[in-house]
Amino acid sequence: MLSLSKLSLNQKLGVVALALGALAVFANVAPGHTVKVNAKELLTGVARAEDHVTPQELAAWIIEGRADYRLVDIRDEEAFAEYHIPTAENVPLAAVTDGALGRTDKLVLYGDGGIHAAQAWMVLRGRGYTRVYTLLEGLDAWKDEVLFPVMPESPTAEQQARFERAVQVAKFFGGQPRAAAAPGAEPMALPVTAAAPAVAPPTLPAGAGSGPKKKREGC
Amino acid sequence: MASVTHDVVDEAAAGRTRAAQPYMNPYLAGIGLGLVLLAAFVLVGRGLGASGAFNSTIAWLVSLVAPGYAKSNEFLSAYLEEGTHPLKAWLVFEVVGAFVGALLSGLLAGRVGLGVEKGPRVSVGTRLALAFVGGGLMAVGAAFARGCTSGQALTGGALLNLGSWAFMMCVFGGAYAVAAFFRRQWR
Amino acid sequence: MSAPFYKLGAFGDEASLIVAFLIGIGFGFFLERGGFGSAKKLVSQFYLNDLSVFKMMFTAIVTAMLGVTYLSWAGFLDLNLVYLVPTYWVAQVAGGLVLGVGFVVGGYCPGTSIVATATGKLDGLVFVLGFAAGTLGFALAFPLVKGLYTAGDVGTKTLPQVLGIPYGILVFGVVLMAVGGFMGATWVERKMAARAAAE
Repeated sequence: MLSLSKLSLNQKLGVVALALGALAVFANVAPGHTVKVNAKELLTGVARAEDHVTPQELAAWIIEGRADYRLVDIRDEEAFAEYHIPTAENVPLAAVTDGALGRTDKLVLYGDGGIHAAQAWMVLRGRGYTRVYTLLEGLDAWKDEVLFPVMPESPTAEQQARFERAVQVAKFFGGQPRAAAAPGAEPMALPVTAAAPAVAPPTLPAGAGSGPKKKREGC
Repeated sequence: MASVTHDVVDEAAAGRTRAAQPYMNPYLAGIGLGLVLLAAFVLVGRGLGASGAFNSTIAWLVSLVAPGYAKSNEFLSAYLEEGTHPLKAWLVFEVVGAFVGALLSGLLAGRVGLGVEKGPRVSVGTRLALAFVGGGLMAVGAAFARGCTSGQALTGGALLNLGSWAFMMCVFGGAYAVAAFFRRQWR
Repeated sequence: MSAPFYKLGAFGDEASLIVAFLIGIGFGFFLERGGFGSAKKLVSQFYLNDLSVFKMMFTAIVTAMLGVTYLSWAGFLDLNLVYLVPTYWVAQVAGGLVLGVGFVVGGYCPGTSIVATATGKLDGLVFVLGFAAGTLGFALAFPLVKGLYTAGDVGTKTLPQVLGIPYGILVFGVVLMAVGGFMGATWVERKMAARAAAE
């Protein structure tokens, strides 16, 4: 009869491994397709402002020609064809989990406002996407702050300087500055989406392009 | 059941203060390594690695010399994040720790000393040249594979990652395929 | 689910770097314990007389794999939050083959070259420099190799997903394979030792 005490250390280890392995057959680790929304993790991320980028940050990235992220327009094809932020790709909201977006891609999502992108963000985070962000307030904010910056009334020197830079950025994207909008005024006409902006990229002030803290996770 | 190979540690015994101890049972060392890997999963949600630290370092060095180029190079720019120093990366700190841990284990076992690992039939110069070339080849392989034996094989292996297992088998395959050609370097 | 702690906000980026350092110490420590700072021992794997590389690597894989399985099963670890390198199978097959060749030529892999350098091996240091040079070369040539680099992109895939086999059963399979492999390895080592003794 084989007595356990007669086994060498290595053989004992082998037996333990086999036993643990056999028991593991019954394990339920629920990998893959379930969307488990971890409230604590998500809300912690939001509180740390890790969930979004601002229109100014995005504008800076585009001007810099950064290639380390994907800009995703989650509206439908018609809206996308009418106007989209340069360098964006179109993945309509319902198709966001279909596989076009890699789990480890760095993604910036935007819609018309902030809500749909935030919903997509939550679902993707629940799927284990770690580098997904929304454009804060979406296209609405892009138009208000980047494309059509508002001329400040009686600006200070600093505000004037900032406005002038904003005008440069606006022109780069085919927009233009405007006076403060009166209620009921006509919305500004959107530029026709060009393949590449025709104006030379403006020089950006230092630190213009720092986005949320990104965690690089390769090996 | 003893396959403890008392390694005859090679030339240049200078610098060693006592006789080198035999290596630990590979299964026990493996369990230790596995537990370290598990700790990484549990604490930080990622595994081990090494080649990524080299990527960060090279990206940093290039950004010192040619910052514009570094940012526009698709491979390097991924390691250059705005607002953070490229060396403030998880893998860089981990690799520095590995250096310290290895030194510690070596000191405890009397295995620290200046030397060159090689077989008797090849010169030091040849060995060093091959080490350099081998390192370069490895770097290319690791870049394509998105990791090396620590990151892909160990980490991905434990997580049953498809690409990692394919990678692992190819590493063994590639090595066994050419081992005969380099026998002279080692035996 | 309490783990992974960092991903659930238990500590911040700065602390995670300290954790990286500590984990690295464990990593380097055990690699050296097992003798992986010695190129001769490492390549002995490929000349079949000392299969410690296989034994140690797969023991580590099995240990961590069983740990992950049980901790997820217990609801402690959320596997979804553990980073998985996406699969680019063509690039990874090519990369693996090249890496294997580099292993026999250079005598180390990046992790073990650090161990070797720490224990005073000059060839380990030279390997590190070669690796750095190779990385630089790759980066410079990136536009040319980008096609191969992204070839075989199938996204993030695990073996259970692809093979359609339940996770736990696959885990058991891996354990069986490993234990069988260890027994086979010991047999091969004995054979090679006997052959060497007879010469």
